[in-house]
Amino acid sequence: MLAPISWLKDYVDINVSPEVLAKKLVSIGFEVEEIIYQEKSASKIVVGKIIEVEKHPNADRLRVTQIDIGSGRIQVVTNVPVVGGETIAVALDGAVLADGHKIVKGELRGVVSEGMLCGLEEIGATIDDVEGQNKDDIIRFPEGTALGANALKTLGFDDVILDVGVTANRPDCNSIYKLAKEVAVALKTDCREPEINYSTVGGDVSDFVAVDVQNNELCPRYMAGAVKNVKIFPSSHKIKSRLHAVGIRPINNIVDITNYVLTEIGQPMHAFDLRDLDGGRIVVRNAHAGEEIVTLDGKKNTMTENMLVIADASRPVAIAGVMGGENSGVKDDTTTIIFESAKFLNSSIRRTSRALALRTDSSARFEKGIDFASQEYGIKRALTLIAETNSGEIVDGFIDCKVEYAQVRDIEFTTKQIERIVGCKVLKRTLISILSRLGIECDDNGTSLVAHIREDREDIVGINDIAEEFIRVYGYSHIKPTLFEYSKLTKGGKNAKILFVDRVKDALVSLGLNETISYAFTTPKFAQALQLDEGDKLCEAIPLVNPLGEALSVMRTTLTHSMCETLAFNITHFNKEAALFEISNVYIPKALPLTELPDEEQRLAIGLYGADVDFFTVKGVIEELFEKLSIEGKYQRASLNYLHPGRSAEVYVNGILVGHVGEMHPDSAKFYGVDNRLYVAELSIDRLFELINTTKTFKPFSKFPTMERDLAVVVDEEVAVGDMLDAVSGGKIKYLTDLTAFDTYRSDAIGKDKKSVALSFTFASLEGTLKDDDINGEMNRILSILKRRFGAKIRG
Amino acid sequence: MKEQMELIKAKALEAIEKAETSVELNDVRVRFLGKSGEMTNVMKGLATVPKEEKPAMGKLLNEVRFAIEGALDAKIKAVAEAEKQARLKAETVDVTFPATFKKVGTLHPVTKVKNQIEDIFLQMGFSVEEGREIESDLFNFQLLNVPKDHPAREMQDTFYCADDIVLRTQTSAIQARIMLEKQPPIRVISPGMVFRSDDDASHSPVFHQMEGLAIDEHITIGDLTGCLLTFAQKMFSEDTQLRLRPSYFPFTEPSVEVDVTCAMCHGKGCKLCKGTGWMEILGAGIVNPAVLDMCGIDSKKYSGFAFGFGIERIAMIKYGIPNIKLLYENDVRFLNQFND
Repeated sequence: MLAPISWLKDYVDINVSPEVLAKKLVSIGFEVEEIIYQEKSASKIVVGKIIEVEKHPNADRLRVTQIDIGSGRIQVVTNVPVVGGETIAVALDGAVLADGHKIVKGELRGVVSEGMLCGLEEIGATIDDVEGQNKDDIIRFPEGTALGANALKTLGFDDVILDVGVTANRPDCNSIYKLAKEVAVALKTDCREPEINYSTVGGDVSDFVAVDVQNNELCPRYMAGAVKNVKIFPSSHKIKSRLHAVGIRPINNIVDITNYVLTEIGQPMHAFDLRDLDGGRIVVRNAHAGEEIVTLDGKKNTMTENMLVIADASRPVAIAGVMGGENSGVKDDTTTIIFESAKFLNSSIRRTSRALALRTDSSARFEKGIDFASQEYGIKRALTLIAETNSGEIVDGFIDCKVEYAQVRDIEFTTKQIERIVGCKVLKRTLISILSRLGIECDDNGTSLVAHIREDREDIVGINDIAEEFIRVYGYSHIKPTLFEYSKLTKGGKNAKILFVDRVKDALVSLGLNETISYAFTTPKFAQALQLDEGDKLCEAIPLVNPLGEALSVMRTTLTHSMCETLAFNITHFNKEAALFEISNVYIPKALPLTELPDEEQRLAIGLYGADVDFFTVKGVIEELFEKLSIEGKYQRASLNYLHPGRSAEVYVNGILVGHVGEMHPDSAKFYGVDNRLYVAELSIDRLFELINTTKTFKPFSKFPTMERDLAVVVDEEVAVGDMLDAVSGGKIKYLTDLTAFDTYRSDAIGKDKKSVALSFTFASLEGTLKDDDINGEMNRILSILKRRFGAKIRG
Repeated sequence: MKEQMELIKAKALEAIEKAETSVELNDVRVRFLGKSGEMTNVMKGLATVPKEEKPAMGKLLNEVRFAIEGALDAKIKAVAEAEKQARLKAETVDVTFPATFKKVGTLHPVTKVKNQIEDIFLQMGFSVEEGREIESDLFNFQLLNVPKDHPAREMQDTFYCADDIVLRTQTSAIQARIMLEKQPPIRVISPGMVFRSDDDASHSPVFHQMEGLAIDEHITIGDLTGCLLTFAQKMFSEDTQLRLRPSYFPFTEPSVEVDVTCAMCHGKGCKLCKGTGWMEILGAGIVNPAVLDMCGIDSKKYSGFAFGFGIERIAMIKYGIPNIKLLYENDVRFLNQFND
């Protein structure tokens, strides 16, 4: 909301600087986003008098002028046909124009020029802002104007405009007058009401127009008034400059009056040319499906049945609350106008405005909500301005179609209740006096107070609202900090799942990985990147109805894609290696299109690349993580489209699939624009959480020496070493405490499609030192298991 | 035989003298004192010595043997010491040479700051709850006193998945779920990812919020102030001050914006706080009684406060991160910096 201080001063005396005023407004809940000084829109532009004009020696179209700027003389080269004796505005060396352009002393075709003659555009003004200037010409001042003075100030282009952020609960304050009332509260002074003062020429408005409101849910109030013998002319400088200062383009006296009232009172108004209202009728009704109306901006709009239109006997003449029709607006030869001052339902206006992509000052104001008091005030204020500007003859009476509404609401409360909310001592008389300043009068009936809330404060419905009105004026600085003075103790803490995730993150950090966070939505092209088949579950990503762009338009079903993007980003940004992880949700719809909330599953993604990184590096991260979580992973060859077929595995814990690990398929890696080998894993945090063993019990260990034996066996190439180890582990081998594979060897001597696997076994006994004889039998059993299950032969 | 022994002794002592390494000394030992060494051979010859000469010869033999052994042991010790010294010298390293070590990873700065905030509130008896990211309109808006077509919906640019399903625009969405589940006293914070369709230099469409909710029989703005002051002083510095400005949120009444004294200049005014000495960090207020009632908590008996703030903003203030976009690029040169 733009509020020129000069306009506010119509209603409230302001004797403090704009900065102080802004601070005071902030303290009562009105954010001042910017203080705009018109005179600072350009700098170092002063009033000067042209003493001498000579032809430029080297250019026919240029003149060399000597200008008296009070403190001295400067020489300015210009192409403007000025003559000696004229008083003008000149930008000096170092001046900054409204468009940011800087003026510097220099030479023009060999002659020194120390400035530039200025027009309104250079100072950021228009002919609507200042009086007595011409469009497309330089600024000229009357003879005798003080030389050297700030030209903007001298022109009267020196208002200060506050850009006030009005919160959604105070739609009334999107008007100069209501804002002035708040200024008065902030400055502890009084506020004057905009004047209502006009006389009518008799007659009766109902002789001119009949109003029929057919949908009073969408239009709870419709007032109409008439003005005859209207004269159309440009508005006064005061009205034009004020409208322009708040960003409204002045048109003519009638349209300007409607916009002036909108800005001043907050009531949108519209003026119809009576000649264009067929049958002299105004019908407020729902549009017919497909009905068309061309609005004042020349746009053709096709209406739907839930939109409200203002129609005459035969056709729509305006889109209610949004914009008037081209067919019925005020024209230069208009003689009789009908003023509309109505209340339309905000949700209806919002929907219509959205659907038609038509936003106006009027629709914006209606969307925020208009109270019942504004229609009458608005139309009377418009008629007052008609009278003030001699724009026409006012016909007696109004048409007023309205639903029943409560004019005043009562709220009963005690000071104790207010104290319990704000937490500081509240004196009854302070409370009553502050509320009174806010226009809320209270009756004190001894034990409680009854506040009478007027209809323009629709936001005040309960005691908490009263408490807020009080404290925002009384000041939050009166409240002393307390720490749950009257409350019970609570246990607090994190739940098991959150603690588990913390543990996983800490483990991964200790393994040297960096945590990343990426967007939850991604491009639908992820399916292509991962080479997913059409029916793949992962393709069922929830699309956003209103995404920021295709690249961020579907909710991810996998973290692997984001992880690859992050890895690729690092590769293309000169990082030689990266080891990353992310814990985030994926979103699995129960059905598409979405009819109920989807499942959200927490996942862990791991991503690595670098010179020393291979499949076993990323598998090692998982193994070490599992070690820290005290769970055991089992691996089986995987076949996923986006992973290298020979270097990828499914990860199982307790026989349950928890995720995948592997090298990205080269075709997928290529999609991310990199040649590097990318190693990734994606595990389900939710599943791991269910599988972790939360109770730990001590297991005894041997205090005697351990015995180690190695064994090299030859097996077929496709035998999985993991299966061999599992078979031995599950073979009830006595004294076996540890086993691992430490080498795989292939050679011609071993044979084609064969490999030699070197295994190492550790034995120990709780009872005593083991002897060779104790172990030999167990080694034979191990060998026989390997022979039977895997066709293993001792390597000769 | 006597001469023979003297000769052996002289040879042995000379050999010991000449030997420079423990290997050479061992050779000397074998040569003179070993099983078939020279001394042993002499001792074997003792059997042929006449009986009366035996004690004298035996004595002499022992004297020679002890002399050799003594000289040998002394030399072995000396050589071992010299060899140790030589090894230590040879093993000298340049201690300034870069070490080999396993890189330590980092938590994302948003996680770090989130953890820190959680720790502060955990100490004040808050528990941590996480909610849904894809949420129903009911929980994200309606139960927070934002019915359909409410002007406050304009305040937040919402991503929709379906008519009544949104990406949560605020962690407040979890408030209603908590209140519907349990009765006061309630003291909960809930961190999480939120979404707004807003993407420019200073906004990210995805960011994180921390929501706080406390409900009991007698909760005041004083408690809200005390709780947030404690948080701000632990998060930034002990001299941090708080300022409340009236504001509006549909789910709180009264509502406030909370400023803290600038973490950089401590309120004196600097570039970070644009000279004001204050930084706006969060919105808060007393839970609107309408919200309590809608969520099954008797507003006549209970009251509460709620607050919410952006975790990124706190992280950016804390670490002096100039641009929110850096947090989502995940460049390792950025991430590696947060190993504090």
